[in-house]
Amino acid sequence: MNPEKPLEPTRRAWTKASGLAAAGGVIAATGALESCTRPARLQAWAPVSIYRAATYSEELYALVRRIIAEHALDVRGKRVVLKPNLVEFDAHTVINTDPKLVHAALEAFRAAGAADVRIAEGPGHRRVTLDLADASGYFSTVPNFESLFTDLNLDETTRVDFVRPLSKLQSLYLPNTILGCDLLVSMPKLKTHHWTGATLSMKNLFGLVPGGVYGWPKNVLHWAGIPQCIADLHMLFPKTFAIVDGIVGMEGNGPIQGTPRAVGVVVAGASPVAVDATCCRIMGLDPTRIRYLQLTAGEQNLGEDLIPQKGERIESVATDFVVLPEHAGLRLSR
Amino acid sequence: MMLYSEDLLGRQNADGGWSYFRGGSWTEPTCYALMALAASGRGHEVEVRRGMEWLQRCQRPDGGFAPRESVRESTWVTALTLLLPTPTGGSFDRPHAETWTVEQTGRESGWVFRLRLWMLGAGSSADSMSFDGWPWYPGAAAWVGPTALSILALQKMDKRGGGPISRSDLKKRIAQGRGYLLARRCRDGGWNHGSTRALGYDSDSYPETTGLALLALHGLNDPKVRQGVVRGEQQLAVCRSSEGASWLRLGLGAHGRPPLTPPIPNQASDGGKAPVMHGGVMEIAIAALAEAAQAGRNSFLDV
Repeated sequence: MNPEKPLEPTRRAWTKASGLAAAGGVIAATGALESCTRPARLQAWAPVSIYRAATYSEELYALVRRIIAEHALDVRGKRVVLKPNLVEFDAHTVINTDPKLVHAALEAFRAAGAADVRIAEGPGHRRVTLDLADASGYFSTVPNFESLFTDLNLDETTRVDFVRPLSKLQSLYLPNTILGCDLLVSMPKLKTHHWTGATLSMKNLFGLVPGGVYGWPKNVLHWAGIPQCIADLHMLFPKTFAIVDGIVGMEGNGPIQGTPRAVGVVVAGASPVAVDATCCRIMGLDPTRIRYLQLTAGEQNLGEDLIPQKGERIESVATDFVVLPEHAGLRLSR
Repeated sequence: MMLYSEDLLGRQNADGGWSYFRGGSWTEPTCYALMALAASGRGHEVEVRRGMEWLQRCQRPDGGFAPRESVRESTWVTALTLLLPTPTGGSFDRPHAETWTVEQTGRESGWVFRLRLWMLGAGSSADSMSFDGWPWYPGAAAWVGPTALSILALQKMDKRGGGPISRSDLKKRIAQGRGYLLARRCRDGGWNHGSTRALGYDSDSYPETTGLALLALHGLNDPKVRQGVVRGEQQLAVCRSSEGASWLRLGLGAHGRPPLTPPIPNQASDGGKAPVMHGGVMEIAIAALAEAAQAGRNSFLDV
C-alpha cells in the first residue's frame, strides 16, 4: 500500500467516519473546546522514527529537538500538552515515563516557539498525583514543576459525547486542559500490559479521564471494554503526537509489576497507531494481534511495510520482551 | 488548626464551594473544607452557609450528589455529604441522599456477574467478591476508597437515627462493607485502591488508603485489623505524603494508637524524609481533621 494514500479502513471505521462527516465531528462537545478534538480524515500513517538513546542523558535535549524538526511539527504560538505515563512509584522497577525525557520535550517545544507547554497526567490508582510525581523525580528534574503541571484528575471538565463508539461508553467528561490544547504529546513508557498486551501511546490516553469524576481507578473504562475505550479515546484525539520512552522499558507483568528492560530507543511519530505498532515489533509482539490496534486500524493496515520508517531499523533495536504466559500468543514470529 | 481554617477560608470560591487547587468548585474538597471548618469550632457561619448553598446545587433529583455542578451523574461523593455535621448539613435533602447511598453496590455484586463467575467455574471462591462494597461511579465495581467513606457515612446515619433506612439494614450493610475491606487487604497488611492481586502477583498498600480503611474499621476487634494498624504505623514512619500521613493519623487514632507527632511538612530534618505539602485544599482540610481528631474530635466518627 502506498502510505501517502488514505488507508483502507475497516468497515467499522468507515461507519464511524461517515458518522463524523454527518455530525461534523467525532464528538459533539459542549462548548467550543475543540482544537484537539477536531476529527482528522482517515489518512496514511505518518512516518515513525526510531532513535537510539542509551541513557537518560543530556543528549535527550538535542534528540527531541531533532524529532520536532524531522516531523516538521509547527508549534509556533501553540499550546502544547505533554502527557507522560505516571502510574505508581516503585524504586525497584521503572513504571513511569522518565522525567528527563519529559523535560527534554518541554525545553524542545519551548525552543520551537510553542506559546505554552504544560505537563499533565491523571494517574489511575494514586490520589495525590504530585506526591507520585515527586517520588518519580519530576520535582528534582523539571524546574518549577508544580507551576507547569496540571493534575488531569482534578482539572475543569467538559462532557464529550461519542458518535458511534466502539465501547459501551456514550460520553465522557474530559479535562479542559486537553480539550483546549493545540497539540497533545503522548509520552508513554515502552511496557507490556497484563490485560492489553502492550501499553503505549494510545493506552496512555486513559490518563486523560478524570478521576475526580470517575474515581481511582477509572473503572468505567474497564467495564466498557478496555481495547474499545482505547480506540474511542484515540478517535477523540487523532492528532496526538507520540514520543515513547523506550530507553528502559518494562517487560513481564506490566504496567506496574514488571521488570526493567533496557532497549535504548526513543520512538516518535504523528500516527499513534503506527508508533504503537512499531513499538510492539520492537518488543517482539505482533501488533496485528493486539486487540486495540485491530479495532482502531484493522489487522490488514498494521503491516510493517505500510509504516514509513525513519532512523534505526526495527531489527537493529528489536529486544524480545518477556511476556506473561497468557500473552504467549501475541509473540511475533521473527 | 486556626492556620488551617484561615487558609481554607481564603481559598473559598466566590460561588461558595472549594476547588482542589484552583478553578471551579468540586463537591469533594467542598465537603472536606466544611468538615474542617466545623471541626475548628470557630463558627465561620457565613462561609459555611455559602458552602452549603453551593453544595445543595449539586444534589441531583435521584438524591445523590454530582462531583461538580456540571456533571450529570450522582457518584461516591454523596457519602461525603452525609459525613457533614447535621446543623451544617441540614440544608439539603439528607434522607434522599441516604437512600441513594445505601442503594449503591459494586457491579460485581450483581447476580449477572456472579452467575457469570459461577459459570466460569470461579463461583464466589474469590473472597473479595462475596461482599457488597461501593463503587466510585455507578455501574462500576466496588473499590476501597468509596467503600470506606460509605461505611463511615452509614455509621453516622446509624448513630443519628431517624433516617429512612432501618437500623438493622444499616448494620447489615456496614457489615458487608467491612467484610469487603477485610477481603481486599493487601498481603503487607495495609490497603491500596482495592486491587490486591493482579494476575497472581501481590500488590502493595498505600498510606492514604490504609489510613482511610483503618478509619472505617474502627472498633473492630479482628487480627486482620491489628495487622493493618501495624502496617499503618510502618507507613507513617516513612511517609513522604502530607495527605497520606494525615489519613494514617486519622486511621491509627481511631484504633486508639497514641497521638503521633508527624514531622512538620516541608521541613526535612532527617535527610529529606518529611512529608511534602503541596497546598491543595484536600491536604489542608484533611490535615486539619487529623489534628482535630488528635485533640479528641474525630469528625468522621463523632455525630
